Order: sequence, then structure tokens, then C-alpha cells
Amino acid sequence: METLQYFLPQCWFVILGLFLLLYVMLDGFDLGVGILSLTSSDEERRGILMTSLSNIWDANETWLVLMGGSLFGAFPLAYGTILSALYIPIFLMVFGFVFRGVAFEFREQANRKFFWNIAFGVGSFAAALGQGFALGAVLSGINVDKTGHFIGGTWDWLTWQSVLVALTLIQGYVLIGSTYLVWKTSGELQDIHYGTAKLAAWTTLIGAIFITVSTPIFYESTRTRLFDPPLAYVFATIPFIGVLLIAQLLRSLNRKEDRAPFVWTILLFVFTFLSLGLIVFPYIIPTQITIYEASADASSLVIMIILIGFLIPVMVFYNVYQYIVFRGKVSGESYGE
Amino acid sequence: MDLFSNTVVLSRMQFALTAIFHILWPVLTTGMGIYLVIVEGLWLKTKNPDYYLHARFWSKFYVLNFGIGVATGIPMEFQFGTNWAPFSEAVGNFFGSVIGFEASWAFMLEAAFLGIMLFGWERVNPAIHFMSTILVAVGANLSTVFILIANSWMQTPTGGDMVNGKFVVNDYFQAMFNPFWLNSVSHMFFATLETSLFVIGGISAWYILNRRHEAFFAKSFKIVLAATIAVAPFQIYLGHMSGEQVQQHQPSKLAAMEAQWNTSPAGQPADWSVIAIPNDKAEKNDFEITIPNALGYILEFRKELTHPVVGLKDIKSDERPHAVGLIYYAFRTMIAIGFFLAVLMGLTVLQWFRGKLSAAAISDQKWLMRIWLFSGPLGYIAVESGWIVRCVGRQPWSVYGKIRTADSVSNIPASNVLTSLTAFALVYTLLFITTLYFGSRIVRKGPDLALPIPGTEVTRPAIDTSPGEFVPDERPVEAQQ
Repeated sequence: METLQYFLPQCWFVILGLFLLLYVMLDGFDLGVGILSLTSSDEERRGILMTSLSNIWDANETWLVLMGGSLFGAFPLAYGTILSALYIPIFLMVFGFVFRGVAFEFREQANRKFFWNIAFGVGSFAAALGQGFALGAVLSGINVDKTGHFIGGTWDWLTWQSVLVALTLIQGYVLIGSTYLVWKTSGELQDIHYGTAKLAAWTTLIGAIFITVSTPIFYESTRTRLFDPPLAYVFATIPFIGVLLIAQLLRSLNRKEDRAPFVWTILLFVFTFLSLGLIVFPYIIPTQITIYEASADASSLVIMIILIGFLIPVMVFYNVYQYIVFRGKVSGESYGE
Repeated sequence: MDLFSNTVVLSRMQFALTAIFHILWPVLTTGMGIYLVIVEGLWLKTKNPDYYLHARFWSKFYVLNFGIGVATGIPMEFQFGTNWAPFSEAVGNFFGSVIGFEASWAFMLEAAFLGIMLFGWERVNPAIHFMSTILVAVGANLSTVFILIANSWMQTPTGGDMVNGKFVVNDYFQAMFNPFWLNSVSHMFFATLETSLFVIGGISAWYILNRRHEAFFAKSFKIVLAATIAVAPFQIYLGHMSGEQVQQHQPSKLAAMEAQWNTSPAGQPADWSVIAIPNDKAEKNDFEITIPNALGYILEFRKELTHPVVGLKDIKSDERPHAVGLIYYAFRTMIAIGFFLAVLMGLTVLQWFRGKLSAAAISDQKWLMRIWLFSGPLGYIAVESGWIVRCVGRQPWSVYGKIRTADSVSNIPASNVLTSLTAFALVYTLLFITTLYFGSRIVRKGPDLALPIPGTEVTRPAIDTSPGEFVPDERPVEAQQ
């Protein structure tokens, strides 16, 4: 029983991490394409951009819904505390989703597409910004009492660190969105996104450097953790592998490869995420409440592993199948009626 | 003003607004999903291209609703955390995991196969397409199952106990399959189906009235009519069963639904009020028209009640709902619509048997078609009324008898909630007007009867293999691997 009390929350930490990672990658390119659409002055390009997402945007967003539901069930305390502490970033994201979600269908129906173009682009940007603020605020700490309940103020989440994380996350989304478009489009459109991908790779790198350098300087708890052997050796390799991945990415962009940039970006996301997980573990509200303190009862965690965990391969299969059906480049405004 | 500085009231208003607005969209997608399975199945069986064109035409409404359903559903989930953090913490053990099941079982299934259903006609073979349509309908309806299980548990929380303010599950399956679950799931399942059927019927009636594609829309009208023969009466039966369960498990809700202030003891007949003006302060009805001895017949099909109907006065003031008028009239609205739709179905079936609904003659049924057109939105009103009865009637509890709504609210300033509530009100008003506008444009534009039918083209365009061009692969998906 003793072991289970550690093992089950750890399982759910990993599963939630997986959901969040899948979400950040999949909706990441989705939101990134949305942000990129703001830079388009050409209606046809915007049409192709949105078509490249039309069949998958809701499946991508569902990973967040799944992550939310699982966090609610597995770590109820964290669900309430984190979301109520981040009231404004969460609603920024939610309203962003509302506008970008309806824009897909409304834009197609509308004669004058201007408003829905803006709704799609700005909605995507707002959703990404809200997520960035939320991530930054969680990483830099939420003000809670001993029982883990939020006792801070409405604007606590707005710090220079959370702004830094938000800006970097947006760069990351633009990067993965650009490489997705490199993969899914051709000709002039593809060329444009080789350019945006390169630019975003550099800005993401700069943001990542700032975060990597500033975090151990300003957070004592993180510092002790990072420089504490034996994990310190693992952490020491992180910057090198990160730079290596970005170098590979830039190389593949310079060589104008079709799919490699997307794959390298995915690897970069996976890698960043793993490092983040290592730093955060075993906290669910860093550095205050651990997963063991916030977790639901063992019986709930077990039944959730049975009813959600075992379904993960099936859900991944649906998604992969869908990508197989809709493989190939997008050219027109329609996805092969 | 007091109202604008009360986090509890504002959070309740926000939840009510977002829930009332959200449910409008999934009601149609869950019900219409089944209709789309029927027409696609008929197309595959009969090879009549009209059914294919029906599938294509009605799926336009599906996708319009689906996008808004997803977009307005996300705020529902996140609100539990942002505005109802203590509730989330207290019930996460059970309630939270059910929300997780909904996402993994229902949403992912629907989202993943919707793309194929909408855009995959030329990309997968008909059997796989049909399977995708079925899976979309299954996914949509599974979310009805999970959400209604979660909500039923809030009405009849079984399977565990409150320990230190948290619900601890003893028997997970008893909590899932709580006393309300089956009736509630069925009642909502049939509600979405009935609403969708009358929306499809109403739109079809509009075309028939305007003499546009009468023969084409006579088909959808008759499919709808055939389905309502089973659905409309059965829904009334399920409604009655739900009422019986309320009598058994939630006496305070039943008292408010019937505006009964005084207890009617078992073994005696009791009067049923048809119209009343309930006065919560004076704890009586200011005005009332009653049918003598009818309450027993309505609840139990017999004159004398076998169980007492507890009056509101005999329940502690802080343990019963106070919006009695709202609950009372919402309940009557739902019932009136349920019976009205069943009668309309009966009359229309009568005309059908008299041969008045043939493609050639159906346009002469002007009045009948007008009533169908008018009945299009009624299902929505009934659904909303039913949910008002269910959730306002549950007050002052968020989990009946266990957790108070007032104790469920997050520790956040009222100004935050006021801001988000105002934003929701503005954005949702905009969305509502826009959707009606685009929906009516789809209707006015009408079906595209010139669409090519998959699998019937004799000459296919030569496959262009120039690099970078999108080439639809016509082969069945297995052959493409």
C-alpha cells in the first residue's frame, strides 16, 4: 500500500506529462499556424493555412480537454488551485479558443472574411499567450497556504519570468507551425515558411537561453536542484543537446528539406519537455505541493489508469490514422471534397 | 450593488449562462449524428443518390454546430477549476475522473473521425466512411452518457461518503451507476434526438412550404416523422420516470416543481396546480388554478399518494430552492412542449396514412408545414427548461445533500467573475446572432444537388503527378499503404 501511494501519483504525473506534451506539440503547430496567418496579406494563403488544419484542429485541442479532465480527476487540489490562481490567463486562453474555433466555419461561410481572419489569428495568439503566462506562472510558483489553497492576488501571475516564458512559448509555436507548413505546403508558400521557421528558430533559441540562464540565478530552490549530483550531470547536458537540436534544425531548413525540420522541432519539444519534467518532479504546484499531497485517492487513480490509461494507444491510433488519410500537401481551399 | 460584489451569485450566473449557451450546440450534433448515420446507411443500401445528398446537406449544419460546441465546451471544463476550486477539490475523486473519461472515450473519438466524415468522402472507401460517421455519432452520444452520469451523481451522490469535506469513493461503480443515471442518460439522449429531428423536420417543412426541392425534402421529412413515432411518446414516458425518481430522491425539488407549500400525506389524494403565482416570502401561492385529486394520478397513476409529497414549508429554508416560480414554470414549459410535439407527430402520421404526404401533395399541407416550421426551435426550449428544473431545483446544493453551492466557489474577487461574465455575455450574444445568420444562409442557399456522387463517375480526371500538387488518391485506403 505504501508503494502504491507513491507509484500511482507518479504514473499520473507521467501520463499527464504525456498528454501535455502531445497537446503542446499538436495544438502548438495549430496555434502557430494561426499566429502565422496574421502575417499573411494574401487571402488564398490564409485559406490554405486554415485548410491544412480544418480536419485536425479539434482533435488537437481535445488533448488539452483530456489533460484538463485527467488533472481534475488525478490531482483535484492542483486543478482547483492552479486554475483559480491563473484566472486571467486561463480565460484569455479560453476566449482565444472560442474565437479561433468558430472562425474555421464562420470564415468559410462569410462573404467578407476580414473579421474571421482576425478572430482566427488573434484568437490563436491569445490562446498561446494565455498558455505561456500560465506555464510561466506555474513554474515560477503560486502563492498557496499550507493546505495548498490559493491565497495570492489576481495579478500574481504577471511577472517578468512569466512574460519571458510566454514570449518564448509563442516563438516555439510559430516555429513548429512554420515547420508543419513546410511539410504540408509547396512552392512559394513553402519558401515563405522556410523563412519564418528560421527566424522563429533563432528567437526561440534566444528565449530559451534567457530562461535557462535566469532560472538558476533567481530561484534558489531550482538552483539547489539543478546543481545537486547526480542529477546535475543530466542537467548539465541539457543546454548542449538543445543547441545541437537547433543546429540540426537550422541545417535541415537551409537544405530545404521537406519533413526533417518538423521532425527536429518535435524532438526539440520532446527534449525541452523531458527536461522540464525532471526539474518540476515531484511537484504539481512547484515547489510547494507534491504530487503525493495533491493526488486523488488510490482507488480513483487505479480506475482512471484502467479507463483512460489503457485507451491512450487507441487514441493515438485514431489520430495517426487521420494523418494517414489526410497525408500529402494542401493546395486549394478544400481538402479534397 | 450587492449582486455585483457576490462571487457566489456571479459564479452561478456565469455557469448558468455558459451552460445554457453551450448545450444548444451539442444537442443538435448528438442527435443529428444519428440522423446522418441513417441517411448514409440508406444511401449505401439503396444506392439512391438523394440520400448521399442529404448526408452532405445536413452535415453542413453539423459542422456549424460542432465548432461552436467545442469552443463553448472548453470554458465549461475549465470553469470547475477557475470558479469552483473547492468543489473540484472535494469531488475530484469521482467527478473529475468522469470528466476525464468523457474526454478520452467520447471527445477523441468524435474529433478524430469527424475530419474523415466531413472531408474524407473521396479519400476513404464508402465502408470506412460509413464507419467514421457511426463513430462520430457514437462519440457524440458517449459524451451525453458521461456528462449525465457526472450530473446524476451530483443529484444522487451514492458510492461514497464525505470525509473531512472530501467525497471519498467506496464503490466506484455505485457512484457511476447512481440511482438517477439510467433515466437521466436516456432522457437526455432522447431529448437531443427529438430536438434534432424537429429541427430537421422544421427546415424540411420550410423548403416544402416554399416549394423548393419538395420531393427531396419530403424524404427527410418522412425519415424524421418515422423516427418521431417512437421518440416523441417514449420521451414523455422517460420524463415521467424521471419525475418519479425526483419524488423518491429529491423531495425539495419536487415541491418546487409543483409549487407545493404544504405536505400532502400518503394515503390521501392531493390537488395538482396547473397555473400558480408562487410567493417565496409568504410561502404560499398568491394565485392558483388546481385540478382536484390529480397529483396522485400524475405521479403514481392512482388517486391516493403512496408516498407523501413534502411541502416546501416543511423543509428548512436553507435546504430548499428559492427560485420556485422559475422551477415551476420551466417544468411546465418542458412538459407542454413534450406533449405538443407528440400530438403534432400524431396528426402528421394521420395525414401520412391518408396519403397526403406524397411528394406531389405534401406542399398542399400548408398549415401542417407551418406548425412544423414553428416547432423547429421548441426542442431547444424544452431542453433548457429541463436543465433549469434539474440544476436550479437542486439548490442550495451543488452535490445534493452533501456540498453547498455557496461552499463550492473559488476564493477569487467578485470583480474577476464580473469581468469574465460580462465578456461571456457579449461574446456569446455575438456568436448566437452570427450562427443564426450563417445557419439561415445555409438554408436559403439550399442543397447542392449537382454534387458528384462518389463511385459513380465514369470518367475520372487524369491524376496529375506534378510535384507539389495535391493529388486526391482515389484508391481505397488499404490499397494506398
